[in-house]
Amino acid sequence: MNNVTVVNVLRFVALLLLQGLVFKNIGVGWESFPYLHIIVFPVFILLLPIRTPKTLLVFLGFLIGISVDFLYDTLGVHSSAAVFTAFVRPLVLKFFEPRGGYNMSYSPTAARMGLGWFLRYAAILMFVHLFFYYSVEAFTFVYIVDILMKTMVSFSVSMIFVVIFQLLFNPLD
Amino acid sequence: MFNLLQLFIKLSGFLVFVVLEAICFSLVVKYNQRQEKVYVNTVNQLTGYLQSKTAATVQYFQLYDENKRLSKENAHLLDRLANVGINVQNPLDTAWADTLHPKYTFLDAQVIKNSINQNHNYLVLNKGSKDGITSHSGVVTDDGVVGIVRKVSKHFSVAMSILHRQTKISARIRNKNYFGPLVWKSTDIHTFNLEDIPKHAPVTKGDTVETSGYSAIFPPGIMLGVVDKLWMDPGSNFFTIEVKSSLKMSNIQHVYIVRNIFKEEQEQLEQSVIQQDE
Repeated sequence: MNNVTVVNVLRFVALLLLQGLVFKNIGVGWESFPYLHIIVFPVFILLLPIRTPKTLLVFLGFLIGISVDFLYDTLGVHSSAAVFTAFVRPLVLKFFEPRGGYNMSYSPTAARMGLGWFLRYAAILMFVHLFFYYSVEAFTFVYIVDILMKTMVSFSVSMIFVVIFQLLFNPLD
Repeated sequence: MFNLLQLFIKLSGFLVFVVLEAICFSLVVKYNQRQEKVYVNTVNQLTGYLQSKTAATVQYFQLYDENKRLSKENAHLLDRLANVGINVQNPLDTAWADTLHPKYTFLDAQVIKNSINQNHNYLVLNKGSKDGITSHSGVVTDDGVVGIVRKVSKHFSVAMSILHRQTKISARIRNKNYFGPLVWKSTDIHTFNLEDIPKHAPVTKGDTVETSGYSAIFPPGIMLGVVDKLWMDPGSNFFTIEVKSSLKMSNIQHVYIVRNIFKEEQEQLEQSVIQQDE
């Protein structure tokens, strides 16, 4: 097992526990304001190495999604969003590809690609993830305004945490 | 085969994505109450919609039979309607043998050939002597008179259209009891002439012209048209009346053939009197 694998396995476990044990309670605790869910576990999908094959990427997305679902007791809702995010990630990466192309041994972290690049990259994927999540949660586009409201609120708060982690740990991989 | 395999490998990411999303959504529907409700509702609505659509489509294909059935029913109803007037004349406490028999019978037929742009226009109908049609039967639709049967073969009959220079239909003005022949003299398929209306008759524009029932071909009271123009030629004792018909002769498909059961009896009687006088 090389270094990158270990880091990602650790990140998987850490984000899962953080999401399921800490942020879950914050979301539920604010009964008066059901718009807010702080969701940070997609960071695991975001930070997988660039060379990760598509198939594995989608599969890992499913794995962390279904794990979070078990903790949230919402089987399928988080995993469908995570699978979608993992599927979209290569497209977003292609969109933000620098002129010289990617260094395939890198992971798309702030330390490697720069904070500005990471912010744009993370923002798009987080937004996609949250929008998909709230759509599946409502399971109908009749409440599209509600879905968009929830997405916007949760997106701003979740992004703050994503950036804080990035600055706090500043991981290379 | 190799190409197919390559394509498969290339698409594997997408395929895994689709499969996993399918699994996720089935889990969502299975284990989340609210989403399950939405799903069941949507599926119900969708199947309901599809079912009503298929029913409507199937109905469309049955329209031909439905049409045939309806025109049969119409003929039957006209049958009864045309004979109502006769029976009412009789005192209520007497039952005449003749009143048990209808005077007019209606039979539905399809127009299989039609012309409107000649001086002598004809229609070909798909009913013939096999169905009991005889010459000099009337041909009508719900909107008015179409023509008169001239010749009958076993399966077909030819009718001279109302748009025929020699067609004369015994007509009257509704509620005024002045009568005369309706003929087609113009070149317009909607304009006819009502002749022999004396100049003292209180005819006005807009009066309804209908069959008189005197000719023993048509039952009385079938719509022919509306008086459009009328004037008196100098030195004439009769009005010249132009009648506007709303019947669309150009696209007639279903017609009814009217037969007067007592026509021969009536005509024989008339003929015998005329012969005696000569």
